[in-house]
Amino acid sequence: MKYIKSVIALTAICAAISLLLALTNSITAPIIEKNASAAANEALLVVYPDGGDFTQIDLTGKELPATVTDAYSASNGGYVIKLLTSGYGANMVLMCGIDGAGTVTGATCLSSSETLGYEKTYGDTLKGKTTADIDAVETISGATMTTSGYKNAVKDALNATIILGGGSVDIRSEEEILNDNLSEALPQAEGKFVSWFMAESLENVTAVYEAENGAGYVLVSGEEFIAVDKSGAVLSEVADDVKATMEANAQLIINSSLTEVDISGYSDMPSQVKKVYKTASGNYVFELGANGFGINGDHYYNPSGKQIEIKASATKDGKIIAVLTTAQYESENIGDACAKESFYSQFNGKTEADYSDIEAISGATITTNGYKTAISKVFEAVKILEGVA
Amino acid sequence: MFKTLIVILLSAVLVNNYVLRQFLGICPFLGVSKKLNQAVGMGVAVTFVMLLATAVTWPIQNFVLNNLNLGYLQTIVFILVIASLVQFVEIFLKKFIPALHKSLGVYLPLITTNCAVLGVTINNIKDGFNFLESMVSALGCGLGFMLAMVLFSGVRSRIDESDIPEHFKGLPATLIAASFVSLAFFGFEGIVENLFK
Amino acid sequence: MKKTNYWKILITGLLKENPVFVLILGTCPTLAMSNSVTSAVGMGLAATAVLICSNAVISLLRKVIPDAVRIPCYIVVIAGFVTLVEMFIHAYLPELYKSLGVFLALITVNCIILGRAEMFAGKNTVGKSILDGIGMGLGFTLALFLMAVVREVLGAGTFAGIEIPFMIDHKIEFLVKAPGGLMVYGLLIAFVNVITKGKAIKKKEFNCAGCPSAGVCNGGCKANEVKEGE
Repeated sequence: MKYIKSVIALTAICAAISLLLALTNSITAPIIEKNASAAANEALLVVYPDGGDFTQIDLTGKELPATVTDAYSASNGGYVIKLLTSGYGANMVLMCGIDGAGTVTGATCLSSSETLGYEKTYGDTLKGKTTADIDAVETISGATMTTSGYKNAVKDALNATIILGGGSVDIRSEEEILNDNLSEALPQAEGKFVSWFMAESLENVTAVYEAENGAGYVLVSGEEFIAVDKSGAVLSEVADDVKATMEANAQLIINSSLTEVDISGYSDMPSQVKKVYKTASGNYVFELGANGFGINGDHYYNPSGKQIEIKASATKDGKIIAVLTTAQYESENIGDACAKESFYSQFNGKTEADYSDIEAISGATITTNGYKTAISKVFEAVKILEGVA
Repeated sequence: MFKTLIVILLSAVLVNNYVLRQFLGICPFLGVSKKLNQAVGMGVAVTFVMLLATAVTWPIQNFVLNNLNLGYLQTIVFILVIASLVQFVEIFLKKFIPALHKSLGVYLPLITTNCAVLGVTINNIKDGFNFLESMVSALGCGLGFMLAMVLFSGVRSRIDESDIPEHFKGLPATLIAASFVSLAFFGFEGIVENLFK
Repeated sequence: MKKTNYWKILITGLLKENPVFVLILGTCPTLAMSNSVTSAVGMGLAATAVLICSNAVISLLRKVIPDAVRIPCYIVVIAGFVTLVEMFIHAYLPELYKSLGVFLALITVNCIILGRAEMFAGKNTVGKSILDGIGMGLGFTLALFLMAVVREVLGAGTFAGIEIPFMIDHKIEFLVKAPGGLMVYGLLIAFVNVITKGKAIKKKEFNCAGCPSAGVCNGGCKANEVKEGE
């Protein structure tokens, strides 16, 4: 009896207290929630002062850039995007406000594993930028990884707002787009291509890709991707005159063979020229070493001490056919842009008269100059080899 | 994964030591640290109860309270769970392992109202640890408690033998000594963050 | 006659048996929350609210609660009021909620509250119990406030967050950190010893003899003392 009384008393007290708490909770819970959302709203206003009230957007099933973790829509049509950077400058949690017109209203770093401090202020330089001009914002040298990670994340945020607004953005990388185009032209290659170095001058062709499994080649002509098979037959549907040109090109590619030229006999051969090959049609292919930042730069920042390795082809009358950076040890995110197609393809078709007016790599003067000097030696070497010097 | 656990363990033992840095469990720290064997006994008992309490309260919070939207009952449920656990363990030890009960049993009832135990269970939930992390954190807090007790028992044996001004005898001297031990633990500041750099 | 009696209860808690400096209870929150005046007063008042409510309810139910389950009942009542106060602070004083952190929930195991429930509220009338709660609670708040004033003014050069000229440039930062708390507490108890000529503080040593939670321990403390005596 006494035992039962104890149990009843304890149970009754527990029940009464729980009831009291449930009641209080029903009063305070909405207030707590309101406070929390007000605090969250305030944090969002930091990057988007005119945003008003924000509502979180359900992102499930939406194809957004991988860095986007959360998105909020502002009452006036803009967005605040929360991002987590990966890769370089990893693990920065960023928040970025973008108004209805696609302009960055503010960006801030909520937390990061970086210790440089630039992540705290860099967001201000991105203010007022749009998709069109954000690329022009310079990264901070010495904190390139952090700041370029930051910039790319904000770019992702801009893309995300376009997608959330119902538009579509290609979030594939350049490489993915190229591969998709190549695969479309030559499905037999099963998506695996290697770049074929243009040792021959091909009419109306800017680049050639070879299928890794030997299924054939894809010739890039302007916007078009034209597939040819191993025997040189054009597989893509093209106009008759184009077909004839491409068949001729294909024969050049297939018959191309390189014979090494012994340059030890040429005492005046520039030191940048490492190896020379001659093709069946009489063109030259050079292997060059350029003195970039790795050689001429500050060794404290770039201790590699190595040259940029370049492959360049030229006709016997001194016109560049193609240039390719095969290896480089330049500063990350600065001079390493010399390995980008957008940089070295500028030399295609250039002659001694006009090669120097290519666009330099921003922030990497030493790399650019070294590269240009190496290319200038191609013209010199052709003259020596042809005996016209 | 492994790294996270090590960081949790070390920061609980050295950097965020419950007694010396966060002031949880001061009562037993001052009360039962007079002799080394007592300090060890209390430390083991606290560590044991912390682990047990975490093992029980974590699932309760995550599978029961959260699912039923009863988060506000956390404090009541946790303190009742800890109190009954301590009782249960005491009864169990008394009946089945009397030798262990003899050495640990006396410390167990003291632990019910030890805020370090309730503190560790609540903090594990607040920090959003998963089950394994919670257990490691509980172990770290317990070991940190024991470490502080053991170190301090050594300091106290020296205090007892020294000549102290009349008004500082007893508690004031003990507290000031504890202050120096706590100061010594500041030396660990930043050690965990830089350990894996 | 009766009135003086009530007055005495209040004063006893506030000064003569000040829980922090005389009874040496509730040391954890005292040390942890006394690094700033705001959180010290917040903590003190939160504990006072819980103390008054739990004292009142326990005294009200003292004839209903069976002796055998008295302690669990007290704990439930106290934890309930702690949660209640926690919810209100969370809702209406979010800043304070943040600065008190886990110590808000830990009021549950503050031995002042369980001690007063066991020693006073369980044996006295509702009115007396409420007065005891007010006295003890304010005594706790006063002690916390005093310690916080010493620590914040000297350690951070501020008072309740407001900068004090001169002090701000000459702060002893050590005092707002953990070791400073222990040191200031020790010095203040020594100071109480000096002004009362060592008579006030009954507990010369920190042991279970004067522990109000002795009942909770089921005699665990006694066993402990026997062991100490061995």
